[in-house]
Amino acid sequence: MHSFKTLENLKNSYSERIRQIADERKSGKKLVGTFCLFVPDEIIFAAGADRVILCGGKNDTVSIAEQYLPRNICPLIKSSFGSIINDGCSGIKSCSHFSMVDMIVAENTCDGKKKMYELLEDYVPTYVIDLPQRPDTSEALKYFISELEKFRDAMEQLTGYKITDEQLKEEIRFSNETRRLFHRLYELRKRDPSPISGTDVLKILQKQYFLSPDKLKEYLQMLINEVENIEPGQVHKPRIMISGCPMPGGNTKVTEIIESKGGVIVAEESCTGTRSFWDLVDESKEPMIALAERYIKIPCSCMSPNNRRIDNILELAREFRVDGVIYYTLQFCHGYNIEKQKVQKALKEAGIPMLSIETDYSDSDVEQIGLRADAFMEMIS
Amino acid sequence: MISVGIDAGSATTKAVLVKDDGSTVHSIRATAFDFVSAAEKAYEDVLGIAEIDRKEVDHVYSTGYGRNSIKFADRSISEITAHAKGVHHIYPDVEGIIDIGGQDSKVISVNNGKVTDFLMNDKCAAGTGKFLEYTARALEVPMEELGKIALDSRSPASISSMCTVFAESEVISLRAKGYSKEDIAAGLVESIARRVAVMARQIGLKRNVAFVGGVAKNAAIKAALEKELGISLYVLPEPQITGALGAALHGSN
Ligand SMILES: Nc1ncnc2c1ncn2[C@@H]1O[C@H](COP(=O)(O)OP(=O)(O)O)[C@@H](O)[C@H]1O
Ligand code: SF4
Ligand code: SF4
Repeated sequence: MHSFKTLENLKNSYSERIRQIADERKSGKKLVGTFCLFVPDEIIFAAGADRVILCGGKNDTVSIAEQYLPRNICPLIKSSFGSIINDGCSGIKSCSHFSMVDMIVAENTCDGKKKMYELLEDYVPTYVIDLPQRPDTSEALKYFISELEKFRDAMEQLTGYKITDEQLKEEIRFSNETRRLFHRLYELRKRDPSPISGTDVLKILQKQYFLSPDKLKEYLQMLINEVENIEPGQVHKPRIMISGCPMPGGNTKVTEIIESKGGVIVAEESCTGTRSFWDLVDESKEPMIALAERYIKIPCSCMSPNNRRIDNILELAREFRVDGVIYYTLQFCHGYNIEKQKVQKALKEAGIPMLSIETDYSDSDVEQIGLRADAFMEMIS
Repeated sequence: MISVGIDAGSATTKAVLVKDDGSTVHSIRATAFDFVSAAEKAYEDVLGIAEIDRKEVDHVYSTGYGRNSIKFADRSISEITAHAKGVHHIYPDVEGIIDIGGQDSKVISVNNGKVTDFLMNDKCAAGTGKFLEYTARALEVPMEELGKIALDSRSPASISSMCTVFAESEVISLRAKGYSKEDIAAGLVESIARRVAVMARQIGLKRNVAFVGGVAKNAAIKAALEKELGISLYVLPEPQITGALGAALHGSN
């Protein structure tokens, strides 16, 4: 496939961003670390802070975490925790940004993360946003608004800046622009054959959580320009959608295997995918209410009931004309693993084949996933 | 057209040669840690039996765990597709396949020879031929006899360990407690059948199900699966070669 210059440049963005963060911190700017899409970036930026997402995708810090956490919890939790508490003694290196955050903003989502945050407090100041579990009730929305108000206060305390509604509106506008850019990129993937591989798109999806918002926008714009202007290929490849757990930075194992077996990923229903940008924040409403309404609707398996996710998967499958869905889960992620039943049933009724892959961050199952991917491609071609 | 399929399995390597007239010859060899030389030998076997020269062969397709190491193959396909093709050829009504091999077990749902769904267990030895090999050894019974012995049991022992290593020591302690070999063998058989039956039910295998792979030669497993699933299973005279047959047929069309 085409090699995109933007993605080449993206590779070098890490050290540049680390320098930026270091400079910002020297001048007094606070850096917030988050783990989850339920934490509204807009509030962080409106308080004059910067943010990076701390979801770990690296396998080597998992073993550090296993000194403290049970083995049978999801690798994302272990990798993140290991990266944060790593003191370097074991000779394993964490990426630098993990040790640069002034405060962690956590959220009550799955049990594993919830309890991990309690341990994290001993290492980094940790603020937790509570989330209602039944998102579709009006009480839930009211409660979520009150939680976001408290979070707004906590951010003001951290940075010493007052968050004005004007500022919030400005951040909402800015973030919506980025969301629209993602929509434009995804629009291009609806072409058949898709002009860009899923592994390439994943690189920028992962980096969105690390880059500064300005830079992200720049890269997105550049990538879109490049993708718009390449010659469309000729060969039709099976069009695959990924659905399930996030694929944090450092982990492209599954997408690489799938695309090496002849498929092309055209959409991903994931937090490294559509869940991060699909819905916009309503700019005409009062900002805190608009934020709460938008964020509470993120179709994450921590919510119950979560039928919104099933509808969204079917909608995406149709819009992107997918030939098959790969249901991707991390080991021991009970939410997404259990929800698989519902997704499977809905897809079966819609006549869309699904392959389930449950994995971790290690390379031990590359062959096994490869065999399943081979068989799946043979099945849907 | 003459085509050959090679199924490079973890335990055994199978070759099937399909002649112009559709008749077949086959060979089964122990893989013994060397996919490449086992495949080479199995290939020579079938050429020898059929009295055909290498040059006359139009296609060689490989499948199985070691499918990508067989350099003399023109192409490789997955075991899942291969079994579906192979079984469908012999048994055109097939709608489901249960394959228990040396280190994995799979269930495949088939429509008109095409795979429509599948599940596999290849993460641990529980529910595979390896589990039987190790526990048969602890029982001091030859692999080939295990099924026959199990069928003689009246009250199967209950084996609770899924892990092969623990099951092995469980077998030893059951023997120390005085359980008969028959009852322990039957307990092992049931524990595998139960596990595989769960997968078969998950993808909804209900009718016209064939049982293939080396473990299909074990009559007690067949009986236990039939009891678990409430259906009778179709076992081919040589259940180990359907993957290689399917690969050969894939090459010929
Ligand atoms: N004659 C036999 N009776 C009972 N079981 C057998 C017999 N021959 C092989 N097996 C079982 O079949 C397994 C190998 O199955 P096979 O399908 O050849 O595996 P693979 O394709 O992974 O190499 C062995 O582990 C053994 O348990
Ligand atoms: S999957 Fe759920 S808990 Fe995890 S980041 Fe996404 S929204 Fe948050
Ligand atoms: S992948 Fe699942 S278990 Fe892991 S952090 Fe996300 S929701 Fe929790």
